[in-house]
Amino acid sequence: MKKEILEKTAREYFCEGEEAFQKQRFNSAVVLYFKSLVALVDLYILQKTNKTPSSHNERFRITEEKFPKVYDLLDKDFPFYQQSYMQIMTKELAEVIKDDVQIMAKKTETKLQ
Amino acid sequence: MTCKLWQKKLKLNYSKDILDIVQFGSSILEGSIPNDIDIAVIFQKIPLKEQLNQSQQIKNQLKKQIDIPIHINSFDLYSFFHEGNFAKENILFHGISIISGDYFSKNFGLTPRVQISYDLKNLKKKEKVRLHYTLRGKKGNYGLLKKFGGSLIGPGIIEIHPEHEKIFVEEIKKITSKVKIKKILY
Repeated sequence: MKKEILEKTAREYFCEGEEAFQKQRFNSAVVLYFKSLVALVDLYILQKTNKTPSSHNERFRITEEKFPKVYDLLDKDFPFYQQSYMQIMTKELAEVIKDDVQIMAKKTETKLQ
Repeated sequence: MTCKLWQKKLKLNYSKDILDIVQFGSSILEGSIPNDIDIAVIFQKIPLKEQLNQSQQIKNQLKKQIDIPIHINSFDLYSFFHEGNFAKENILFHGISIISGDYFSKNFGLTPRVQISYDLKNLKKKEKVRLHYTLRGKKGNYGLLKKFGGSLIGPGIIEIHPEHEKIFVEEIKKITSKVKIKKILY
C-alpha cells in the first residue's frame, strides 16, 4: 500500500511540476519536482529496507548512512526547496531537479508519466 | 567560539572550475557562537548541475573535517551579482577565502574595513578613560585595537577588520550608546 501511495504522489507532483515548468513558473516547478524526488527517495528506502522515514531528519539520516549517492541528491537539492519562497528559481535549476527526479525514478523503476 | 576554516589549512580537492571557496555569515564573526557554517563556492561559468555536484563534493570533504553543519551555496559570477542573491553583500564584504586565507573581495582589488565612530560627549571622565583602556590597553595589557589589529584613525573613529565588528561594538556600547558603523571597501 505504501508503495502505491509513494508512486502515485511521485507521479502527481512530477506531472504538476511539468505543468508549472511549461508555464515558466519555475519556483513552483522546483517545489513540485522536489516533492516528487522525496516521494521517490522514500520509495527507494522502502524497497531497500521495508521501512519509510517519518521526517526529513530521518530521511537524511537513513540515506546518509545507507545510500550516500541518494543522500547527495537530496542534500544538494533540499536548500532550493527551503529557499523557494524567497528566491527566484531559474529554468536551469528546475531542470537540474527534474533530472534528479528522473534518476530516482530509474533507481526505483517508477514510470513518472 | 569561532570556526575559522581559513586558518585550518584544510586539504580540499577541487577542480579548476572553482574560482574560490568562501566562508561567510555569523561563523566568521569574532565572539559569535555559530550553529552552522555558510560556504559560498564561486565557479567559472559552467552548467548549474555541474556546479551543484562539485559543491556537494566539497561539502562532503568539509563534513569530514569539521563538526558543525555546513550550508553550501553555489554561484558563478553572473548568479553571484544577480539581484536575487540576497547574500552577495555579506559574502563580498565579510567573506574570507578558505583557499587563500584572505578576503574574498581582494579578488576584485578591494579591501573591506569597518569604521566605528563613537561619541563621548556628556560622559564622565572615568567613562572616557575606561573606553581608552578598553581600546588601547592598560598597564602592559593589550587593548582591543592591538589585540585585533585595528587603528584609531581620528578622534572618536576606529577602523577594524570586518570580522571583529561584533566584539568592538559590544564593548564600546557598554560605555556609550552613541555609535555609528560604516562599512567600507577600498
